[in-house]
Amino acid sequence: MRQEFLNSNQAVAEGAMSAGLNVYIGYPITPSSDLFEYLSEKLPERGGVVFQAEDEIATINALVGASLSGARTMTATSGPGFSLMAEGVGFAAMVEAPLLIVNVMRTGPSTGIATQIGQGDIIQSRWSSHGPYNLVVYAPASAQEAFDYTVRAFNAAYIVRTPAVLLSDAVLAHTRERVTVRESHEVEIVDRKKPAEPPSEYKPYRSDSSDMVPSFAYYGEGYHPIAESLSHDERGYYKTDPRIYRNLVERLVHKVERNKAKLVESRSYYTDDADIVFVAIGSMARSVLALVRDLRADGVKAGLFRPISVWPFDDESFVSSISGAKSIVVVELNQGQLYEIVKSVLWERGIKDMSLHKLDMILPELPGPDEILEEINSRGWRLW
Amino acid sequence: MVVVAQKPLHPLDEYLRTDRLPHIWCPGCGLGMILQAFLWSVKELYERGKIDPDKVVFVTGIGCTGRASGFVNFDSAHTPHGRAIAFATGVKLANPKLIPVVFSGDGDIAGIGGNHLLHAARRNFDVLVIMANNMTYALTGGQLAPTTPFTVYSTTTPKGNPDQPLDATKMVYALKPNYVARLSITHPTLIRESIKKALLKRGFRWIEVLSTCSEIFGRHINFRDPYELYERLKKVVKFRRPQSIDDIKYDWDNEITCGTFIDKDDPGWMETYMKMYGLEDKLGGL
Amino acid sequence: MAMEKHEIVIAGRGGQGILLAGYILGKALVDAGYYVVNSEEYSAETRGGDSKSELVVTKGEEPDIIKVRKADLAIFMYTDQMKKYSKLVGDSATVFLDSTFIESKPEGWSNVIMVPFTEIAEHEVGNIRTANMVILGMFASKVGMVSLDLLEKSMSSVTRPTWIEVNKKALQKGYSLKV
Ligand code: SF4
Repeated sequence: MRQEFLNSNQAVAEGAMSAGLNVYIGYPITPSSDLFEYLSEKLPERGGVVFQAEDEIATINALVGASLSGARTMTATSGPGFSLMAEGVGFAAMVEAPLLIVNVMRTGPSTGIATQIGQGDIIQSRWSSHGPYNLVVYAPASAQEAFDYTVRAFNAAYIVRTPAVLLSDAVLAHTRERVTVRESHEVEIVDRKKPAEPPSEYKPYRSDSSDMVPSFAYYGEGYHPIAESLSHDERGYYKTDPRIYRNLVERLVHKVERNKAKLVESRSYYTDDADIVFVAIGSMARSVLALVRDLRADGVKAGLFRPISVWPFDDESFVSSISGAKSIVVVELNQGQLYEIVKSVLWERGIKDMSLHKLDMILPELPGPDEILEEINSRGWRLW
Repeated sequence: MVVVAQKPLHPLDEYLRTDRLPHIWCPGCGLGMILQAFLWSVKELYERGKIDPDKVVFVTGIGCTGRASGFVNFDSAHTPHGRAIAFATGVKLANPKLIPVVFSGDGDIAGIGGNHLLHAARRNFDVLVIMANNMTYALTGGQLAPTTPFTVYSTTTPKGNPDQPLDATKMVYALKPNYVARLSITHPTLIRESIKKALLKRGFRWIEVLSTCSEIFGRHINFRDPYELYERLKKVVKFRRPQSIDDIKYDWDNEITCGTFIDKDDPGWMETYMKMYGLEDKLGGL
Repeated sequence: MAMEKHEIVIAGRGGQGILLAGYILGKALVDAGYYVVNSEEYSAETRGGDSKSELVVTKGEEPDIIKVRKADLAIFMYTDQMKKYSKLVGDSATVFLDSTFIESKPEGWSNVIMVPFTEIAEHEVGNIRTANMVILGMFASKVGMVSLDLLEKSMSSVTRPTWIEVNKKALQKGYSLKV
């Protein structure tokens, strides 16, 4: 254990190394490149390999190959690169390859503003690829959390055998704070579930256990698994039979939900007696927390719910955090993506006695608490 | 229950998932000959103690050729369209002891996946790529491929192909990886010899095999019988040693130059990286 | 007891060593026992564009915000960025201006220290690129919070070995400057 003064890009790199990273594959893109550079220096010293691919499409597909060959593997990118990876994310989900993608969100759409923050990739982080599947997404809000949730995201990837995404942002990426770096032996590391059966009986896509996750034989171990991007049966054989397709894809979709208790994470601040609960993630949540404290000082009973696992969403904690509230304000640097998630939770839970507000701030910079307050006032909502 | 070991019907059965046969390939298709040459090569090298089949990772992309990953009894992957080389790169990075083999078609490797080919070749990255070139997008019904000859019909260029075709072998040759060969299903023994050699080499190895798609390409250019297409291919294939890169021809009407164009033994990417970054011990060498 | 809290803005043109100054100051403040949130902003080009480093510094509890709301301490090394970011600085803040590039101080600020840091770096330290260190040295002597010692230690841990001596000289020069 050691204390460091690191930005979130560096904290992610340290977290990944403590989580057992051994293959990093990347393509440079602002504002994630310094994470790549940091690992280029440090990872080989720990026996790992760093590889610069020709583009993000190569990156994601190489990650899948590395993952299935037994490596703990990751990349870091930003919006344009993450978009290029989309098809490969679906492939990783389809062949159940655990791996980590760090998306340091910047201003979009398209090339946007390379160095500036955005939060427009929230929905994309869950479903960037075509087709039904689910994965796990964590959004840290400090350098320490960047470290902690990198470890956690790697574990999540192995718990459910799926890609995991860490949603960072351009402000966090280049904000230094104190980070307690724990070494590999000081963090919990979840490994693959090894096959118990002999190779002749091994079926790479069969799961008999309640977690719906198949055991994982690596390439080179004699099990001859097939990574099949087509619809496949338990053996990995291409099948168009609707029942086989359904068995497979329902499992891909539901296994995240099934393991939810091990995956969800959130934090609530001052929500016990809150009349108004704000919802925000990442560096935006830091500004909102400052606003909540200002409002409290003025006698307004405000609170903050901060989802850390964006998917699966910690709806239990969310519902209890709003139990006494009259209104919810979702604050984000996009057109209302987190808002859509919150709205669907409220609908599913049948919570109707609540006014829900979308504070969609389409800005290329992180607003401070005063600017957020100004924006709320400009909308004419009567919240307090 | 006592299971009596059955004598295989064919000497290559142990390298096939026989429960998946018959394969999808049309009668008269050349792809089976290439796959067969590959399997014979592995079998022979295994029997001579040169290769462990459990370390072979057989990677394909999308297309008729791509379906081979489902038929073979190796660790295998049927990756998204064009991404076989990228996937194979990750395999090697993770475990240098594995032997990734990419087996895919011209559209997959040289079209949509062309960028990966270019970069894997220039890096001399440790992967063997076998590209079956049938000059068309066969699985999807005969659309234009980057390798389709100039002026030839395809379903997306009904009045003829206005593009100049890509000579993928010539492109790879220009990048000077360790091994570059172009062969043809009309000369199957040479394919087998070439694969055997390439399997044991380090660095990037490239084998293009001209193949006959009798069902789509052949019919589209009015060959009713697979044999006619075979004969036509045989006529245009010329084995010779080119004098220079410009001497490598990809001309459907006159000559498609075949042969082994590069055979050298420079260290591959993995070895170079491991030496440079002090990783030889940790990764256990190749 | 009120929590000790400072907000610091350092800004100038890309190439003036703004981000490095922020990093070195931040690291020294951490060693001095503060919790430091040090955020950086820069334009895509490394030379000539805007460059800004912000530090939210507290003793006691960890701060929530990342970005400065009203700085009580500021360093500006170029006019354009001073104008652009002056709204972040409180009227009573202690402001260091590099008069090599900034001709006049704006209205409103009551506590401004104007010194030709870049000229001093060039002629008295012998390296024009150490102006950022001259400022940090002076910051330590005028503001307190960190000692010259801690700044030297922090600087030595993050700059390349060939720069350590000249940077030390610059820090010391700034520390001993009289206004
Ligand atoms: S369509 Fe052509 S390439 Fe495909 S299997 Fe049939 S003959 Fe072979």
